[in-house]
Amino acid sequence: MIASWRARTPLAVSVVLVLIPLLVAVFGPFVPLEAKPGLPYESGVRLGTDGLGRDVVQLLLVGGRTALGMAVGAVAIAYLVGGTIGLVAASTRHRWVDEVLIRPLDVLLPLPSLLVISVVAVGWRASPPAITLTVAMVNVPTVARLVRAAALDAASGPVVEALRMQRESWVAIQVGYVGRSVLGPVAADLGTRITLAVFLVASVNFLGLGLSPTAPDWAVSVSRNREGVLLQPWAVVAPALMLVAFTLGFNLLADRLVHRSRRTATEVVDR
Amino acid sequence: MRSYAAQRAALAVIQLAVLSILVFLLTALLPGDAADMRFTETLTPDQVARLRSQLGLDEPAIERFTHWFGNVLTGDLGTSLISGGSVADIVKASVGATLVLTLATLAVVVPLAVVLGLVMGTRENGRLDRVITSITLALSAIPDFVIAVVLITLFSLKLGWLPATWVGGDLPANPALLVLPVAVLLGRTVCLLSRQVRAGTINALNAEYVVQARRLGVPRRQLLLRHVLPNAAVPGVQELARTGDTLLGGVLVVEAIFAIPGFATALVDGVETRDVPVVQGLTLVLAVAALLINLAADLVCNRLVPRTELLR
Repeated sequence: MIASWRARTPLAVSVVLVLIPLLVAVFGPFVPLEAKPGLPYESGVRLGTDGLGRDVVQLLLVGGRTALGMAVGAVAIAYLVGGTIGLVAASTRHRWVDEVLIRPLDVLLPLPSLLVISVVAVGWRASPPAITLTVAMVNVPTVARLVRAAALDAASGPVVEALRMQRESWVAIQVGYVGRSVLGPVAADLGTRITLAVFLVASVNFLGLGLSPTAPDWAVSVSRNREGVLLQPWAVVAPALMLVAFTLGFNLLADRLVHRSRRTATEVVDR
Repeated sequence: MRSYAAQRAALAVIQLAVLSILVFLLTALLPGDAADMRFTETLTPDQVARLRSQLGLDEPAIERFTHWFGNVLTGDLGTSLISGGSVADIVKASVGATLVLTLATLAVVVPLAVVLGLVMGTRENGRLDRVITSITLALSAIPDFVIAVVLITLFSLKLGWLPATWVGGDLPANPALLVLPVAVLLGRTVCLLSRQVRAGTINALNAEYVVQARRLGVPRRQLLLRHVLPNAAVPGVQELARTGDTLLGGVLVVEAIFAIPGFATALVDGVETRDVPVVQGLTLVLAVAALLINLAADLVCNRLVPRTELLR
């Protein structure tokens, strides 16, 4: 039943949805395309111009770097920090280390994320590193708890005991065994987390709290050109489509992974 | 139940203390202060320095914090550095619109998500479940502001049915103002919540006690409402607390798009003018609200299914 539904939205669709914006974001700035500026909100040539008379296609090629780069960077940092905390907390032999690492994060959980990011973004105006770092920090508590929960089973199992008896080093055990067994849940979480990070970064930029209002960023483009949406829809629709394709594709991939890890989980229980 | 509530409340008190320190630090770290922001162009450095000492901005951070924290404990949030009015008044003036918006959204979201979740969960992998799942999955991948732009373009600009902004509008006289903002906020929250209710329903339906109740011939309606729903609601209620975060983020975006004079507007103004007491007051009130929602959600879950562990 599940398989039949999943067969209708084949893997290829989700991959293509993610790849198009991703490729545009990574290689867009290198495409040797002649910009065709014109009057504000002029349609006709290619996808027309935006509110400042700039070439929409040209903007699209350049604007992905901030829109996706900040989000992906933030999630990477969040996993680097939160993942380490979670792994250490799960594998430590001392209960107090676990408490010291995880309890403070409980306190941070209820802090409204967009609120923190708005304050930081306005304070350090138009600073992509500051926004990226904040988005990362906001994600650290959840990532740490997720990794800790996923690693706890593996870290307290017989395999780790055996490895310890064989005098394997702590790092080798963590990276080689515990870290690998965490990969499944992490991969499933990654999809939703990147989507959320893209949303957060895009929201901050859309609100005009982040990048400057003339930046080619996709979210900024949607925000700035929405007044001209009836005159020249492409200036809004094209960057919005890029964002939606990316998050939709990632959502579909994450959904697929969640189902797969659930299925293997129940299979293990059945055995 | 009683001891769980006490433990959970104690955790909330600690959280509150730490949050207030964080709020203070975050705002104290902002580059530049109110004196810088307002007067560098018109005043001499000497005058700025005098203004700073008049506003108490030249004291060490520790002293400012103890002063502020002591006042907060007595319910005094301080006075605005810009307008000179009390922060409590500014909070009161801006809370109304945000509260109305949030409550109106929740009033639609909760019943809708429960019904959709039950419908999907009871027909697991049936045609209806697949259709609703596809729609919610797709909808939850669209950023709030894109939905807002699409809805405004369609219903305000093209069709002219609904107002696109709150400017010049009056809420009690014109409830239509609420329609588009609530519709924007609805999208993602309903998706997230209904999927949790769906998962909870499927788990509960497969649980042994439900199978047994079925075997005993408990009528379907009673089975769903009495046995399945309370258990299915647990992930939903926990998700609702987390959705609070999504919802709040959405409210900030929606307030900016529809020019709603609420919390977000006041907050952004405050940060831009480095009106630190206002930012601290607003952030603290929001953080406390988020904390209370989390606390309430945990207590409700514990009431529904009295075996939820303390936060881990």
